[in-house]
Amino acid sequence: MAEDKFDRGSALTVFKSDRREDFMALVLSLIIALLVYLFI
Amino acid sequence: MVYTRRTVWPLVLGILMVAYAYMVQSGAMEPVIKFLGTGRNAGEMQILGYAFGAIGIVAGLLQLLTTPKDGQGDYLLSMVGGVIFIMAVAFIVKWGLDPLMAQWGRAAQPTLGFNFASVMNLNYVVMGILAGIVIVNVFKVPGWAENGVRLSRLGLKTGVILLGALYSLAELAHLGKLSVVLIGVFVLGSVGVVLWLGARRNMPNSMTGVLAAGVGVCGVSAAVAAAPVVQAKSTEIAYTIGTILLFGVLCMFIFPIVGKSMGMGYIQFGAWAGTGILNSAQVAGAALAFQPNGIETLKVAEIFNITRVLFLPIIVLWLAVWYVRREVSAQKVDLVQVIVGKFPVFVLGFILMFALSSTGIFAPAQHYQGSYFDNSEKAMTTKDKDGKPVSKLLGDKDLAALQAEAAKVQRQDQKSALQRLIENKKLMSIDDDDTLRGVVNAKIMSKAANDVLVKAHRAVRHTAKKIAMFRDLIAWFFTFGRVGLGMQITMSSIKQAGGQPLVVGSIVGVIKALGSLLVVWLLVSETI
Repeated sequence: MAEDKFDRGSALTVFKSDRREDFMALVLSLIIALLVYLFI
Repeated sequence: MVYTRRTVWPLVLGILMVAYAYMVQSGAMEPVIKFLGTGRNAGEMQILGYAFGAIGIVAGLLQLLTTPKDGQGDYLLSMVGGVIFIMAVAFIVKWGLDPLMAQWGRAAQPTLGFNFASVMNLNYVVMGILAGIVIVNVFKVPGWAENGVRLSRLGLKTGVILLGALYSLAELAHLGKLSVVLIGVFVLGSVGVVLWLGARRNMPNSMTGVLAAGVGVCGVSAAVAAAPVVQAKSTEIAYTIGTILLFGVLCMFIFPIVGKSMGMGYIQFGAWAGTGILNSAQVAGAALAFQPNGIETLKVAEIFNITRVLFLPIIVLWLAVWYVRREVSAQKVDLVQVIVGKFPVFVLGFILMFALSSTGIFAPAQHYQGSYFDNSEKAMTTKDKDGKPVSKLLGDKDLAALQAEAAKVQRQDQKSALQRLIENKKLMSIDDDDTLRGVVNAKIMSKAANDVLVKAHRAVRHTAKKIAMFRDLIAWFFTFGRVGLGMQITMSSIKQAGGQPLVVGSIVGVIKALGSLLVVWLLVSETI
């Protein structure tokens, strides 16, 4: 997939930066962990 | 730019997923499930089928019935198609191709003399990536799925963070020192060799610097993090990433084959993969390919991998000093700013999850590797399909098999543990369990007797429900990431690895792989 196909993110990610992707992964993980803690 | 395409495919895939889940639930798929031996996956087939099917149907209808406008809503909606596409491929691979290939492997064994599916590691992890590579290079990723495919790295990172929930302080204390020493030697050694080789082959300093970080530390992330320090051009970063991915893909296929042929254990292979494979993404792939039905190898490999990532600030500092010395004209680079700005936050997330797990909120603190010992009467009783209680105590045949070969066990501690097992029909302590695991690993007794010991082990080891859920979630996040990763490995990105960086990167990669194999083989013992 060529880089210029997307005007947002890069060829490898939908996020503006790696840092933002890292934070999203962190938030997603914490939500999942909370759900597992509460309901399992 | 409007990303959402007007297409019927997410809706079609969503309907197919819901239909499949319903057929599993209603029992219509029973003959197929029985034939493939995927009965234990029936639960996740229904949950994931309904969940992703519903998402696909809703998003598909929105795509068909609304007119997308440039904005956040369009951007988010356009990602759903890719997610559904990846999951559809993952379902086919994990619930169809994987068990089918395992059956073919077993069926061809008498003719070929070996199980090709096992030897070639044709499990869902490897086939997932291969499916991705085939799709992108032969058929091309459909336009409506392209945006969503770029979410695969988010899946990988989320998987790595969640993996922290499976670790405990006791495990890190056990593996920590070894991983730090091993990784320290190989990371610093690799960076040093790349810098030396790069200078010898007259590569530009910026190219050498970014390749050194990529080959030495954790692949793509490290290369990107080190790029501003050595003022690397985008083409140099692309060459480095191409080299790392190409070499990493080769390692991902070759490492498990070598590991299996050498009879490596989980800890040994995890340590080797975590040390010797260049890119974080492919470490997990190799570990899962080596042990598709368990997570022990992955956990060890990730501990080594995370330790390696923690070396990044040191390498960045080293490269900065090295580069400034070699390039008199190099502009000033704020090292603290680079480290603070580029250090991968998902590594901190892993540590945070590990800290949460160590408090005992997911499983009691005495749990080890997600499991706990319990030989109480309640724990030793299970229920059959009809709800009747079934005892997990060893039966007369089992005890006879052990008694017949008890004389083969020579070590006093092993003899005592075996005697206690025979007397009580169950393992009486964690120590006894560990001691007799040693008897199994050393293959002192026959396979039949070893099977009895494994049965006794399984009867007293239980996995906490929360940990079991984390394991399933992690496996799916990694599966999602692998398939998507495969869809990003184009032939052109592989060709980018050509030339000097490929030569230098490959030389150092091979040295690192062989050196770490030797060290792990000699120094790392198998204790699981």
